[in-house]
Amino acid sequence: MVRIPAGTYAPILRGADEPERVPVAAFLLDARPVTNAEFLAFVRAHPKWQRSRVSPLFADTGYLGDWTGDLELGPRAPADAPVVRVSWFAARAFAAAQGKRLPTTAEWERAAAAGFTSADGATESGFSATVLAWYTKPSPETLPAAGSGRANFFGAHDLHGLVWEWVDDFNTAMVTGESRGDTGLDRTLFCGAGAANARDLTNYPAFMRVGFRSSLRANYAVPNLGFRCAK
Amino acid sequence: MKTKLTIFLVALTFTTGRSLLAGDSPEKSRASTLLPAGEEKCACCAVEAPKPAAAPCCTELTPAAPLSARSIYQLDARFTDDDGRPVALASLRGRPVIVAMFFASCEYACPVIVDDIRRLRAELPAAVRAQARVMLVSFDVARDTPPALKAFRARMNLDDAWTLARGEAPAVQELAMLLGVKFKQDARGQFSHSNLITVLNPEGEIVHQRAGLMGDVSEAAKAVALAAPGGAR
Repeated sequence: MVRIPAGTYAPILRGADEPERVPVAAFLLDARPVTNAEFLAFVRAHPKWQRSRVSPLFADTGYLGDWTGDLELGPRAPADAPVVRVSWFAARAFAAAQGKRLPTTAEWERAAAAGFTSADGATESGFSATVLAWYTKPSPETLPAAGSGRANFFGAHDLHGLVWEWVDDFNTAMVTGESRGDTGLDRTLFCGAGAANARDLTNYPAFMRVGFRSSLRANYAVPNLGFRCAK
Repeated sequence: MKTKLTIFLVALTFTTGRSLLAGDSPEKSRASTLLPAGEEKCACCAVEAPKPAAAPCCTELTPAAPLSARSIYQLDARFTDDDGRPVALASLRGRPVIVAMFFASCEYACPVIVDDIRRLRAELPAAVRAQARVMLVSFDVARDTPPALKAFRARMNLDDAWTLARGEAPAVQELAMLLGVKFKQDARGQFSHSNLITVLNPEGEIVHQRAGLMGDVSEAAKAVALAAPGGAR
């Protein structure tokens, strides 16, 4: 794991009463996403998380869908590639079994805001473009090894450019859904000014992550969504 | 500015579509193998059984019977009621249950949710109303102690059919995840949250969810009646 020193996180979207920067205490973060081999060892030790045994409440039917069996990875899931199609419940159980936990949104974003050579990637020439480039191309059929990307300033690999990652509080991304949804608002009145109070309109990947997180449910097992642990 | 808004909306559409696809994509055959026979058995009597004679199959389930694959009573989380007694979710098994999440110092939405559930109960046939229970679980891990919940009960004038529960953060978070309730504490200590009323059948399976505040509760009431063993059909 790598140590992410205390710092702050600046949410891309925030409520009127919320501070611009949120303090984040120092924490440890896995240097790379959890791999198929590691997750296989976990389900071997905890059979209730095997594909054929897991409750649909805790993982939908896509769970570990790239594997060829309960305990076989197969060609589409190389041992050293990041595990994907894992639910939040499963990721959380894996983390707990290692004496770890999932990072919070603030922690993950704090770590991922670092550039390759400085703690603030936004000020680093070419960094934002490199991050953005990932969002422009589809993922390869078979994912490369976890940790093969260039390390960031804190020594963490692949926070960008490999897979999406679960965060513990993903369901705080957009609490009320869309404005005609499950809120107390009059559903005949709505407006699409969702980004009007955004901090940095050029940080397109941050919007993508907010949108992605807010679309998830905790039992979803989504292609290209993996995780790493924190402590 | 306009362009950015468009990009954001596209991003939302894209990501939502992506996860929906993911949810739909898996092999259908495996989905059916995930359902143990017991689940189908319960669905038969909760939803379809036309004769009262068929209804007792649900109530006959002993507490030791394994929970169905979709029962939220599988959640191994501890809660405490407003008398400080431990409450297991599964203790509600065998009855239709109306679940909502709230916090006692809520100034707006939660009293409305309580009122919505009151109206829902009023629409139930008397026999179903006598069986149905309401479970309100607080988001407010720090402030909603048993005495705070007790005060809420008194203020809202809630009878014994209502269980008010609190839990530690992981338990509350996992229950919220299972119900699909989103919540977030703001700088003032208030919570923004989804306004969701969930109906559980006697096995603890989600059979209906109603989002929003005020408005019609008859669909939810129908779902409760349908879920009740021997209830109105």
